Amino acid sequence: MTGDFGHQIDALNGVTTQPMASTARHRCLAGALLALGLALPGLALAAESAAVTSPRVSATLLSSRDAVSPGERFHVALVQKIAPGWHTYWRNPGDSGEATKIDWALPAGMSAGEIQWPAPKALPVEPLVNFGFEGTVLLPVEISVPADAKPGQTITLKASATWLVCEKICIPEEGAFTLDLPVAAAPVRDDAAQSRIDATRAALPKPAGFTASLKADGEALALSLPGVSASAADLRFFPYSDTLIDHAAPQPATASGQGASLTLARSSAFKLQQTAQIGVLTFREGGTPRALLVTAEAEPALLAQSATPAAPPAATLRMPIPVEGAALTLWAALSFAFLGGLILNLMPCVLPVLFIKALGFAQLAQASRTEVREQGLLFLAGVVVTFMALAGLVIGFAAIGSSVGWGFQLQSPPLVIALAVVMTLIGFNLLGAFEVGTSVAGVGSDLASRGGRVGAFMTGALAVVVATPCTAPFMGAAVGYAVTQPPALGLSVFLSLALGFALPVVALSFAPGLLRLLPKPGRWMLVLKQAFAFPMFATAIWLIWVASVQAGPGGVLAALVAVLAAGFVVWLIGVSRGAGRIRLATSALAVLVALGAGWFVLQSAVPEANTQAKVGDTQAWSPERVVALQAEGKPVFVNFTAAWCITCLANERVALSRQEVKDAFAANKVVYLKADWTNRNSQIAQALAEQGRAGVPLYLFYPAVKGGQAEILPQLLTADMLVAAARAAGRDARTAASRP
Amino acid sequence: MTSGLTRKSVLAGLAVAGLACAGLVLASGSAFAQSAAKIGAPAPAFQAVDADGKLRSLSEFAGKTVILEWTNHDCPYVKKHYSSATMQTLQKDMAKEGIVWLSVISSPVGEQGHVEGPEAKALSAKRDAAPAAILLDPNSKVARAYGATTTPHMYIVDPKGTLAYMGAIDDKPSASAASLNGAKSYVRQAVAELKAGKPVSEAATRAYGCAVKYAPVS
Repeated sequence: MTGDFGHQIDALNGVTTQPMASTARHRCLAGALLALGLALPGLALAAESAAVTSPRVSATLLSSRDAVSPGERFHVALVQKIAPGWHTYWRNPGDSGEATKIDWALPAGMSAGEIQWPAPKALPVEPLVNFGFEGTVLLPVEISVPADAKPGQTITLKASATWLVCEKICIPEEGAFTLDLPVAAAPVRDDAAQSRIDATRAALPKPAGFTASLKADGEALALSLPGVSASAADLRFFPYSDTLIDHAAPQPATASGQGASLTLARSSAFKLQQTAQIGVLTFREGGTPRALLVTAEAEPALLAQSATPAAPPAATLRMPIPVEGAALTLWAALSFAFLGGLILNLMPCVLPVLFIKALGFAQLAQASRTEVREQGLLFLAGVVVTFMALAGLVIGFAAIGSSVGWGFQLQSPPLVIALAVVMTLIGFNLLGAFEVGTSVAGVGSDLASRGGRVGAFMTGALAVVVATPCTAPFMGAAVGYAVTQPPALGLSVFLSLALGFALPVVALSFAPGLLRLLPKPGRWMLVLKQAFAFPMFATAIWLIWVASVQAGPGGVLAALVAVLAAGFVVWLIGVSRGAGRIRLATSALAVLVALGAGWFVLQSAVPEANTQAKVGDTQAWSPERVVALQAEGKPVFVNFTAAWCITCLANERVALSRQEVKDAFAANKVVYLKADWTNRNSQIAQALAEQGRAGVPLYLFYPAVKGGQAEILPQLLTADMLVAAARAAGRDARTAASRP
Repeated sequence: MTSGLTRKSVLAGLAVAGLACAGLVLASGSAFAQSAAKIGAPAPAFQAVDADGKLRSLSEFAGKTVILEWTNHDCPYVKKHYSSATMQTLQKDMAKEGIVWLSVISSPVGEQGHVEGPEAKALSAKRDAAPAAILLDPNSKVARAYGATTTPHMYIVDPKGTLAYMGAIDDKPSASAASLNGAKSYVRQAVAELKAGKPVSEAATRAYGCAVKYAPVS
């Protein structure tokens, strides 16, 4: 049997274009009629092309017009008469198969639309399911006639179509179709053809008139169809995309007051690319078959999940992260930026600022809801403006080829110290060491705790500034993508980041209902507020340590003096409250102290120019060093890091400093180089840019081959990953060495 | 570096806590539904007789990358890849990389593509194909375990036995030979990424071709 089929397929694999005998007769008849002068002047011979036939399919191109008029639109249809037991395919063929395609060759000025797909049938071929057509199917296409077509002319429509026809076995077929249509002042319909095409078009899936929603339901998907009545039966959803759902899985329906809902199993290649029109729904209502075009909104999390490549197996910190910035699509970059922004809210240095803002809302909400909303929007404005300003600087500097990257503001010791001061003041304010409600001191803590309109705006700005060191893993790739794109695209990625970041607070300000979920204001608020002081102090300690790495002992001294001066100024302002002349004097003193401390910081906290900070037990990186080591036959691991990069520090802690990693590096003679970007360094910035990155962390593994290209490791490292990479590098090195 | 380690560890701890929260938020729903074959999970184990009559199993290839190719020599999509020698070239290139290539024939007796051992070997000789072995799966058991839908349908199992790729052979779902021009080979891409120690960027794609002819469940 196999052999027989084989021969048959070989024989039929090619083009089978034999006009059917009956059509030939039809032509003769028409010709005869024409000869008798019974036909109208210029009338076409046929509104149907010659048929292309095989034992499985007889196909023609059918026109609803015998003659067309200039400027009109009309329909033709590819008609497939399919032998019993065989089927052709819908636009998404299901588990196997291929959709019918039509390529048009049309005279200038003429155009053909897309195939208007009738609702398909689910065709089970156990255990698979295909989507397609049995019996006779018409695939309508709209044709536009150019307005300048001249009556008396004949226009020729040429179409070449390919289709796959399957029973259990599949045969690809193709056919060329030609229709000659005369142009007349008024169109001449072919009533029989018109009514067949009209009937097909009348049965096409109709716009649903409601927006469905697509949500994750555990491992499955839930498609809610609010406009479908609970009495509808035999619901079946046919997706346009072939990577959305498992085509063969049952689609259990549930009815609710809101309509119907289908549970759909995800495709093993699940990917959600577009959320507008996602497919066709067929069902029966009172015995009548119906078909709707389904437009759905997908929850953003679903979009983000589908943009995620599979994470490597086995890891303590296992997160779906995009690995290469260059490989990201715009949508993926936007989604990751948005998610990254959301996650920044959880960072230890940001959370307290936002929480205090939320508490402020809770108190204000009792007074005025409009004011809460206004503050929410101002907070949003502060976040967006600050992000855009930072993004503008990064993108601007990248455009002129300067070596500035994400987190650059933390490469300046005075700015790091300023942040440490702000963190300290916020911490003391949270502890209640000084009251700020009545004071006008413009410190961040005041602005963050209550403040007015300016305060809300400044809270947004402050939150962004304190968040930048915590470059979440998601943001790394998105930001890398942003700086390699045209500015408009890049800015939109940062905007997405800003919106994600601002979302929780803005949502809170618009949903006073959420605020009511909080327990009544009371002692717990005070305790929590005080507790939040400690993450702020921790952040300050870390920033001072960063300053020490950047500028040595002078940096630490400058930072501590700055903290002292700031404390003194705040205290001065506090004690002089309300006292006229004394107040003037103390204000002058405060300004003097602040200026003096500022000058001192600028003088003492000077980074050593263009050198890398101390690297301890590892060797310092340089491009030349990598080349030299490779030439010696040694694999090289490079860690691009910075003291102000929390992700980098986490990786060093959970992966790089682990004993098994050190052992694997030693056993395989891997040389560990560290490129420290704590201070500005144009060489490092350039190396990052070459890998499509705008910031750290970046981990590169160079093979022990002269000139060998580096492999990029993920931004979140695991010990297993490093051990595997080291072993692979060692193996390669030994193979290379054993070669003569 | 050592001097800063203690302070660093405190902060790193904080950071890890934050990242872990984020991880929890995002980890839900990343797994695929349905079939036993899941990217990132152990590839389904199997035993099948090869064209020489030997019993083979996935476990004997532990430590090596394994490629499974579902095939049916009479399927037009399979023919596209064999008559152009694209499939044979891929098989030979993979063999050079030390990768084990297993062609799987799941058609039952009486269905298109079904062959016995000698015919399977004759087909390989005639087409100059270079699989490490041809697995005969006339009860479609291996096909069911992997959820194979089409011929060709490709699966890549990494040396740890984890399923690293499942789906189409390339990105041009067509039976026409012209579609091979400029087609991107998902298999080559996945193998290159695995070799580089990177996660496979397109680990699951939609396979195309003729339906796998399944034997009824016995």
